[in-house]
Amino acid sequence: MANDGAKIEECVEQVESISALRAPQRRKDNPLTRSLAGMLGMGVLGVMFLVCLGSLPWTLSAGVDADGQSIGVPRYDAGSPKAGRLPPSWWVYDEQDIERSTKAIEPAVLEQIALEHGSTVDQLIEAQDEATLDLVKPYWPRYWLGSDTLGRSLGVRLLAGGGISLTIGIAAALISVSIGTIYGAFAAYVGGKVDSVMMRAVDVLYGLPYILLVVLLAVASDAMVDEWVTHNKAKAKWMQNQVVETQFQETGEKLSRADARILLGEDQQLHDELVTQALALYPRREISAGTRTMLDVLTLLVAIGGVSWLTMARVIRGQVLSLKNQQFVEAAQAIGGSPTRIFVRHLLPNLIGPIVVYATLAVPQAILQESFLSFLGIGVKPPLPSWGNLAAEGLGELNTYRSHWWLLFFPCLLLGVTLLAMNFVGEGLREAFDPKRQR
Amino acid sequence: MTESTIEQTQSTTKSVLAEQPIMQVNNLAVSFDNGSGPRIQAVDGVRMTVYPRQTLAVVGESGCGKSVTSMSSMQLIPRPPGRFDRGEILYRLEDGTVVNLIELSEAEMRKIRGNEIAMIFQEPMTSLNPVYTVGDQIIEAITLHQDVTTKEAMQIAIDAMDAVGIPDPEGRIKAYPHQFSGGMRQRVMIAMALACQPRLLLADEPTTALDVTIQAQILELIKDLKSTRDMAVMLITHDLGVVAENADVVCVMYAGRVVEFANVYDLYANPMHPYTRGLLASIPTVYTKLDRLTTITEIVDNPEEFKKLPGADQGITPWWPWKDAPSDLCKRDEPAGDYVLRKVAKDHWVGVWRTQAVKNDESSPPELAFRVADQESATD
Repeated sequence: MANDGAKIEECVEQVESISALRAPQRRKDNPLTRSLAGMLGMGVLGVMFLVCLGSLPWTLSAGVDADGQSIGVPRYDAGSPKAGRLPPSWWVYDEQDIERSTKAIEPAVLEQIALEHGSTVDQLIEAQDEATLDLVKPYWPRYWLGSDTLGRSLGVRLLAGGGISLTIGIAAALISVSIGTIYGAFAAYVGGKVDSVMMRAVDVLYGLPYILLVVLLAVASDAMVDEWVTHNKAKAKWMQNQVVETQFQETGEKLSRADARILLGEDQQLHDELVTQALALYPRREISAGTRTMLDVLTLLVAIGGVSWLTMARVIRGQVLSLKNQQFVEAAQAIGGSPTRIFVRHLLPNLIGPIVVYATLAVPQAILQESFLSFLGIGVKPPLPSWGNLAAEGLGELNTYRSHWWLLFFPCLLLGVTLLAMNFVGEGLREAFDPKRQR
Repeated sequence: MTESTIEQTQSTTKSVLAEQPIMQVNNLAVSFDNGSGPRIQAVDGVRMTVYPRQTLAVVGESGCGKSVTSMSSMQLIPRPPGRFDRGEILYRLEDGTVVNLIELSEAEMRKIRGNEIAMIFQEPMTSLNPVYTVGDQIIEAITLHQDVTTKEAMQIAIDAMDAVGIPDPEGRIKAYPHQFSGGMRQRVMIAMALACQPRLLLADEPTTALDVTIQAQILELIKDLKSTRDMAVMLITHDLGVVAENADVVCVMYAGRVVEFANVYDLYANPMHPYTRGLLASIPTVYTKLDRLTTITEIVDNPEEFKKLPGADQGITPWWPWKDAPSDLCKRDEPAGDYVLRKVAKDHWVGVWRTQAVKNDESSPPELAFRVADQESATD
């Protein structure tokens, strides 16, 4: 019997040693680092983001001239038309470029060089020989990515524009993805009449041209800012009240508002007097040009994000509708999960795939929409650059006579690299969140 | 009171509890909104009883109300469009108090679901969430009802997976559902259902999607767990072979009503309702050579079949919706008013027309504390 026991144990050991009966050995890997392309994309995006946003304080601050004096114009807008359309400094300069580069040098500097070498400024500019070039070259304005029509450095403008475009793109995508996901998922999960009403609202918004909505939003926010700044309404009302009261005290007869307004229009002296008083009561608040720009960009961002969630809401609603009827939701109910729990724990994680894919598509979409809207004069207004309007400007510089290719090439290159990196990251994330792709 | 007397009282309470039904469905009627048309009466006047350690098999064709009955007891019927029209589902808690499951609030119901009553679904392929590991899902079921740490829950989950026969549970607990086969997933579902030690298991066609060998394993597993855990099982199926093998008491349903309720031996040996006879006759056997299989219609279309019921001469006729009602029908003013589930023989209930003869039906509600296992141990 003891022998039998030992034998049985041996058999059990043998059976347990059959590897097929054990769970497969899995390599411990971090799903987030699995995709090489995704990691690369993340790196590129990170560098792009850090450089563009990190340099914003520098690019937006006032530029300085050769003596270190502030010139009162932000760096991205500083430049001299004399140095317009110069190619990147490492590119081959032809005669025309050399002539214009020489003209772009500060006259004082040129005079000094001429003085040192015993010639006049005119002679210096006319002489295009090697010796003169070597003398003048160190003083040429250096544009490492070329200059635009107004002689502004394209490199600096790309940095500033990158900061703005990336902020708008990512923030707008975040806004649209969050609103869309919550709205669509809620509508589908609750279902019934709530779903119908919510989705018909989306249909109506879909029917309106989105540009109209964005313009409305932008104009409304602009008006709100103005109102806040000047208190015009409150001021006018106060002035009319003052007139009505004075009139009443003087003559004992009550004046209507409209009459008071007419009286104010006629009596310039009284009007000026009251304006001074009103200004003392409601001081005019000033906002700096920077703040104003920020507000504009913010409006644009909210407008784009607030309009582009519609597609997301529809996609997510469809997903939730199909997931909701899956048996695992019923199973989660059957083990006693509350509706909130089922929604957060069982439905949302299943939506990661479409959410990530849509988010990576929404970022480039937002950047492109921004450039389109900037063209219409809403949001990012020139001279403030964005990748979109830089590329739009560059397109016009492409012609058969003389192509200033750098003006189109560099904005497009950056835009393209960013979008490509974004797609790689999206693909990597989707793979990371999908358990079925696990190796 | 000494310790032994306490133990004695506890064991007597337990045995008393075991002899009382754990769940009793009384006159349940559930209907569904059909948009423009009239409401669809999914079940009507359904009565059945389950005892602890007993398997009640509910059989019938698709759409006869089997699943609606079991879903109602979990309040998993979507309302709207569903609605409980009448009736009650009485459930006896561990301390002996009886609650009506269809009147409980959502919060109270959540405490029952998974904890007192657990459910296994038909499709193991889709009843697990694809983005979580099976361990996560079993642990979720445990932490919802038990105050344990994640580590303890993990241990319970591993034990539960071990109990349902999943090899290497420590390793498999980190696996995703798609890495499991259908039978293994159904085991995971059962492990999930059993992790909180429920007292009633609703198995809604647990083996329909599985092949025959896995089917046998799963049913054997449910049978084992039933006896080791004093659990009651409500087995919903349309496989009469499964019923014969596993059930103690059988409830045959048709068109939302119970047509026959008896213990498994009685039912197979002496089916009383023509529909049950039709069901049984339609199963081919290997011993007889037939050119054409018998259909249920052949049986129920034969008027003679309706006269075989005991008391047929007194006007007791089996209820059948496709047949003209007897002339002396005493219809009550309610949807299932033309029907009565009547005890026609010892431990045997049949759905009959509410004729003059059964107008004042005084027979007891269908309840049988019968268990095949007890019979087998008695004969041993």
